[in-house]
Amino acid sequence: MEKENVIEIKNLTAGFDGRTVLENISLEIKRNEIFVILGSSGGGKTTLLKHIIGLLKPEKGSISVFGKEILNMEIDEFEGILKRIGMLFQGGALLNSMAVWENIAIPLEQHTQLENEVISNIVKQKLSLVNLEDAYYMLPSELSGGMKKRVSLARAIAMDPEILFFDEPSAGLDPITSSDLDELILDLKKKLGITLVIVTHELESIKRIADRIIYLQKGKNIFCGTIEEAKISHIEEIDRFFGWDKD
Amino acid sequence: MIKKTDINTLKVTGDFSNDRINEFKKNYNDLKRTSAKPVIDLSEVQHAGTLALAFLEYISRNKKVEIRAAESLRSEIEEFAKASGYENAETKLSFTDRTVATVSDFFNELGDFVILSADIFYYSIRSIFNSSGRRKGSVFEQMFLMGNNAVPIVFLLSFLIGLVLSLQSAAQLKQFGANIYLVDLIVIGMILEMGPILTSVIVAGRTGSAIAAEISTMKITEELDALRVMALNPLKYVVAPKMLSLTVCLPILTILANFVGIFGGFIVGVLYLDLSLDIFVNRTFDVMTLYYWWQSMLKSVLFSWLIVLIGAHFGFKVKGGSEAVGKAATSSVVASIFAIIMTDAVLSLIFYFEW
Ligand SMILES: Nc1ncnc2c1ncn2[C@@H]1O[C@H](COP(=O)(O)OP(=O)(O)OP(=O)(O)O)[C@@H](O)[C@H]1O
Ligand SMILES: [Mg+2]
Repeated sequence: MEKENVIEIKNLTAGFDGRTVLENISLEIKRNEIFVILGSSGGGKTTLLKHIIGLLKPEKGSISVFGKEILNMEIDEFEGILKRIGMLFQGGALLNSMAVWENIAIPLEQHTQLENEVISNIVKQKLSLVNLEDAYYMLPSELSGGMKKRVSLARAIAMDPEILFFDEPSAGLDPITSSDLDELILDLKKKLGITLVIVTHELESIKRIADRIIYLQKGKNIFCGTIEEAKISHIEEIDRFFGWDKD
Repeated sequence: MIKKTDINTLKVTGDFSNDRINEFKKNYNDLKRTSAKPVIDLSEVQHAGTLALAFLEYISRNKKVEIRAAESLRSEIEEFAKASGYENAETKLSFTDRTVATVSDFFNELGDFVILSADIFYYSIRSIFNSSGRRKGSVFEQMFLMGNNAVPIVFLLSFLIGLVLSLQSAAQLKQFGANIYLVDLIVIGMILEMGPILTSVIVAGRTGSAIAAEISTMKITEELDALRVMALNPLKYVVAPKMLSLTVCLPILTILANFVGIFGGFIVGVLYLDLSLDIFVNRTFDVMTLYYWWQSMLKSVLFSWLIVLIGAHFGFKVKGGSEAVGKAATSSVVASIFAIIMTDAVLSLIFYFEW
């Protein structure tokens, strides 16, 4: 059975102060797939994510999430969509003035009427998912880079989102933590049926988890499809990225 | 070694490493002053560091200078010239264009400020009635930070200002035997002008700068983006609690400053002008009308809004890194004090002439 598209982007063109960063991007992301965004540094990957979650507005094109066009959408309706997605920022973006548990509790406190004890238990469960039981009372400034990422992940999945966006989740993580993270991602997909949109450079992890990939080269979409399709497409950039040009 | 071999020639031998560049430059400048046809002899130099290459490339553009170098070094210099010889696409504007840009930037910024202010008022008023989307307990926490913690400094400074103002005027009043009018002077002076202005200038320095710094840091570290993605509005989550609590705190601090300042005047009156306690107190309550208090409170409420709105404005518009945070804080204080005194002047004129 063909799954429905949860995200559809048509002819998206975007930039900053007149400088084009994304050019005519079209793509579809299906429910419950792991969609990986690849590309050179500065190629526009983060910018693409920020457009999908409505933090930036494009010059042209359309973006729809859960089948609804999000540009020009009423703010209340868009917040309804935001409550169904989670995002892990490239730098973690934890609120520095709050302890780890408060950070994870923010969406729960704001969007539910649950008792404090219930919220606290949810926070604990999410922290143990990312192996950070001891960090409950710590402040973000007391965490290492990789720990921040994991707390940020715990916060992003606090409300059991249907779509999860990751901006370079494993950059700066050691291989073991990184492969644990891959396991966690595959688990999220399998057990909770989450759709994952991931920006990453880690070849191992791409090969392990990606269902489909898009490759952005200087803001242009030069390939979109499965890894097998990428291999037979013989696009020079992609061959070099995966090291297939050496085979 | 760097050595002058004859009147026109500077000879370098050995490795031309980066740490020798300053010595070389000094010798070269000397040579240029004394010689009409300087020659740099590098024929025995095997290898040069980046600093040396850059400087040699720079002086080789001067056709009067002759550089003697082995083929390998020469090609290194040429390579450096090639790798650094591109134009950066920075557009240079003419003077008129720059002026137009500055003026239009100012009006754009003013427009942004008005829109932001309207939004902040909207969300603050909404969040009085509906606390969802506002951080739990944040209003009381903010009140504590902004109000309670400012009490000692407001107390001390307004006491000193009251004392000193009275002392300076007391000498004049004494000459006419108009001692009792010290009370009028200090009561009206504190309640209408010094109290509100002094308090809000202190609070602009403490709280306004903190607001600008906090919001700009949150913007730079993407915390604001993270809030938005969690379906939370930063204006409601971060700014509204500050707006609500300062609207309450600043008038209270102003009341405190007014009384403490008058108390400073009382000390001068009793100890220096020999006014008796009950004469001072009675006169104080004669002079102090509700109308004056009303003006004082109106001013302090308006000033509190200016402080929050300007702090938030500079916080949200920040771009760049950690240095921009400091700039945002400083600019917000300067702009708030400016706005406070302007507003005060306008209001005082209106009330004085009862327009
Ligand atoms: N806020 C901004 N203002 C101006 N230009 C920006 C801004 N953010 C990104 N850019 C520009 O957009 C382009 C794409 O940036 P983006 O962050 O999307 O790259 P990326 O693919 O995520 O790179 P990386 O892999 O290094 O994270 C870059 O050229 C960058 O200079
Ligand atoms: Mg990026």
